[in-house]
Amino acid sequence: MGVGKGKFLLYSKIDPPLTAGTYRFTAKQVLGAEGMDEDDLRVEQLETHVRVRSPLYVLPPDQVLSTFPPAGREGAFGARLPQIVIKRRTLPWERDLDPIDMAQVDPEAELDDAPWLALVVVAQGEAELKPNQPIDQCVTPGVTIPGLADAEVGNALHIRKSMVDRIFPTQQEVHLLAHARQVDLDDTELMMGDDDGFLSVVIANRLPLPGRGDDGEDVPVKYLACLVNLCGQFHSLPPKAPTPPADVLVTTFPLVQLATEVTVATQDKLVMGTLPPQALDVLPKADVSGTVIRTNVVNPQAKAAYEAQPGWGATSASRGTKDLYVEMARDFGRGGAVSLDPDRIIAALDPVLRFPVLIHWSFTSFGDETFESLMKGLDSGLLGTRGAPNPDKPKENPESSPGRLPLEVVETGHVGLPHRLRRGDEVRSWYRGPLLPHPADEAADRLPLAHAADQIRVVVPDGREDVSLAAAFEIGRLLGLSRPSMVAALMRWRQLGFQQARLAGVVGSGILDGLADVIGDVDRFLGGRLGAAVAEHIVASPEDILGNPAPLVTAGVPVLDEAPNKVLARGLGLPAAAFEGEPGLVLEKLRGAEVKLPGLDLQVQPGLLKDALAATLDARFSRASIAALAPTLTEDVLTDVSGVPLDLGLALGGLDLGPAVLGGLAPGPIESGAFQPHGKGVDALDGLIEEQDRLADEADDEGGA
Amino acid sequence: MLFKYNHQDAIELTQAMLSLAPDVVATTPEDDDDDGVIPAELRRWLVQLRLLEPVPFAYLVADSDLLPLESIRWFYLDRRWTDALVQGVLSVGTANSDDRTHLAAQYPAIRDELDREERNRRRARTDPRLDGGGGPVSGFVLRSKAVSGWPAVHVRAFSGDPAAGAAKDTDNPPNDMEVRLLRLERLAPAVLLCLFDGIPRTVHIEEPRQGVQFGFDMTNQPGGTTKAQLEVRNAETFEYVRPRRMLDVKFRHRGASGVVDIKRLEDELADIDDTLGPDDEMNSGEYALQLVQFPWRQVWGDMANADEPAANEELVFKPVISYRAIVRDAFLKGD
Repeated sequence: MGVGKGKFLLYSKIDPPLTAGTYRFTAKQVLGAEGMDEDDLRVEQLETHVRVRSPLYVLPPDQVLSTFPPAGREGAFGARLPQIVIKRRTLPWERDLDPIDMAQVDPEAELDDAPWLALVVVAQGEAELKPNQPIDQCVTPGVTIPGLADAEVGNALHIRKSMVDRIFPTQQEVHLLAHARQVDLDDTELMMGDDDGFLSVVIANRLPLPGRGDDGEDVPVKYLACLVNLCGQFHSLPPKAPTPPADVLVTTFPLVQLATEVTVATQDKLVMGTLPPQALDVLPKADVSGTVIRTNVVNPQAKAAYEAQPGWGATSASRGTKDLYVEMARDFGRGGAVSLDPDRIIAALDPVLRFPVLIHWSFTSFGDETFESLMKGLDSGLLGTRGAPNPDKPKENPESSPGRLPLEVVETGHVGLPHRLRRGDEVRSWYRGPLLPHPADEAADRLPLAHAADQIRVVVPDGREDVSLAAAFEIGRLLGLSRPSMVAALMRWRQLGFQQARLAGVVGSGILDGLADVIGDVDRFLGGRLGAAVAEHIVASPEDILGNPAPLVTAGVPVLDEAPNKVLARGLGLPAAAFEGEPGLVLEKLRGAEVKLPGLDLQVQPGLLKDALAATLDARFSRASIAALAPTLTEDVLTDVSGVPLDLGLALGGLDLGPAVLGGLAPGPIESGAFQPHGKGVDALDGLIEEQDRLADEADDEGGA
Repeated sequence: MLFKYNHQDAIELTQAMLSLAPDVVATTPEDDDDDGVIPAELRRWLVQLRLLEPVPFAYLVADSDLLPLESIRWFYLDRRWTDALVQGVLSVGTANSDDRTHLAAQYPAIRDELDREERNRRRARTDPRLDGGGGPVSGFVLRSKAVSGWPAVHVRAFSGDPAAGAAKDTDNPPNDMEVRLLRLERLAPAVLLCLFDGIPRTVHIEEPRQGVQFGFDMTNQPGGTTKAQLEVRNAETFEYVRPRRMLDVKFRHRGASGVVDIKRLEDELADIDDTLGPDDEMNSGEYALQLVQFPWRQVWGDMANADEPAANEELVFKPVISYRAIVRDAFLKGD
């Protein structure tokens, strides 16, 4: 039966044909025929044993379609009753409640309609969830749950009877809190992956209100929603809500007291769950006026930071679903109202009850921002509208951010942005993204094809550049290049498509017919002949086809601001006059000028410069090569090798690189006196100058001749 | 440069080459995987690019001041910008003027194909392929805590106001009125980008429908307390009863914070006319019916209808619960 899109049907109850349990079917067949006795045609009766299974202690997670509030989420859930949607439509009615003490059951309780499940919402400190208990530990002692257990271990909610009276649904309420629902299979939004469109829903009876701190501020409160099994313990629920002296129209927010001082070290232990239970004192007061949650957090932010990484307490990243459930129960697992007081009198008056928990999840209720309030508060405008300054939050005003230029935005949506040109100039250019505040001009021509970004740079009338399109081109090019598969696809497409097009264009165009006179038949030598023809033309009249060769170096910008001779003179520390006049004159002056040398006590002989350098370089080379080879070389090999130059021993001796090398000259090995101060002999520079002179003289001679 | 080559020559040469190049036959791809003027693989990516999928967000919104906290900004899409983007991709690997000549010959056909394919981007698999060139594209960027806190919001756009005139059925508006979405994506945890295939007149942004929720309207009271109210519905029609009746929700006496006195609420509901079906007792289906809270739908568009509260109410998502069917199936047939 279709429901219709957007509609759904509600059922108060869907009874299963068989409730869970073991059954025996007996099949009989009676045959009769004339003249035959009934016993002659007797058919043995067939007995079939059938077991109808249903979750009892553990609800498989795949049976849960959705939960609200979503597991692990934080938000403003205070106005919504938590609920769980189960795929099997009959699940809440598949078992009988079978309370063991009918005397305690309210006569108005509708036992027949009541589900065996209830969704209970517990705030921190109100009860204790013990995960992974043997199933006989999951129920209050003295109670047995009929039916075959579906698991070895289950989770149990340990809760005092007084707390049960305060938060569990009453016996009169349980049947109102579960219903079945049919949604349209085509309406995926409502259906969310169910197979038949039938669902069952269990609603909680408690609004998960956010907490209030001592100072009245909103404080997040963590709630645990447990789907508990009521089988056999229905009588433990409060028969009905106490009749109040006056209508209770308001409820208090849970008061969160930051009660216990916790050091940082203890905080770590607290989060890790390694703190001994007696160190915690989170027993809530029996405060009728409202829930008081004492939490051991000294620094709420630190707590939040820890909670943001739920993996902290777990050993590895590969946590299974089971660990997740343990994780969610963590804050409810110790120091609750129940585990502390062994006093027998209290235990008798206010016993601890245990309920099997089929599934549980936790969430945090905080704040009062709803989707509606956020949506209504939105600042709406076309792109390019500046945000209206909010007087309440001056820090969020755009203008107030220090060190920022005010946003330059014009009515067309262009934004002024700093732009560094290729030449290094810092200018401001206009940029507008693809999102316009005005309708695009649909009638205008489309953008003609550009091959480079520079083709679509535009200078607008105010003299600044508009680089919007150029930026789009460039980011497109970069995005294309960043995806090798796309580059490959482009190249493949070009090779296939363009080459075919090229060939087809040449062959089909008739151009070949016209060329036939010039180049002859079209055959496989065509390419060669064409090349030859082109070469022939180039050779015959190069000036028609070839231009001048491009200069190897383009003219540059002058580097020096003043005359070169002045710069040279200053750099060498000579008087500027030394570089003025004819070249010959300058040379004369230079010869006379005193060359400033560093204050080294060195003497240089002509020719020695080269030799000295060669020696040093050799030495360095051999050291480097030996250092590289050293691990594989042995003493023997080294002694055998002849011609290993210079200070081999030094290199092998250690890391010392031998005599210090100064300015490329090794002062040590060269015998003293080999270098001479300038003026007493000729040095390499002199040699060069001499050579230059000689050439000049020769030129003069030739000129003279 | 070895050849004497000036601009005039280049133009002549290009024209000569273009006259030589064969006409590009624009074939309309029949299927998403068919090659058209360009290979399907390339086309798919170019279409994504046209819808700005891989484009860095700073290129879309150049300055954070343009998109302040808790704001929505509407825009039109610049075709010239997206054209330039595609041209940038096509320019990759055009090594010589020959490549460019061919590209120039192909380009108009490529552009037309992309215009067409862009519209097919978010088409449902079963729908027929859309044809026709690219019309205007518009959209919005939303930066709000509502995006981060309520993932998977629903966005729907209409070329008219579905609440006005003949088309009163907001949930099943005539097909020709609905404007298709080309893209709906969270770019950052709190930033949502949406592109429409056309220019809508009305846009609905709706709270995600994580199932149907049950709850009350809460009002904070002084002294750290809060009060909940429930508007009573007619069980047969699902309309609110007239005159409108706000029922104060009772909380459990001596109960924990937030525990609702479900039974007392039920008794009070049952005392009000029209809240019960044929049965005298209120059952859980009827009870749930009273508690249903619908996702909030924010409507953006013509302000003409905004002043009338009645017209606005029409816009709120409201599935019809066929109560008669419940009665028939659940009560008359016997449960």
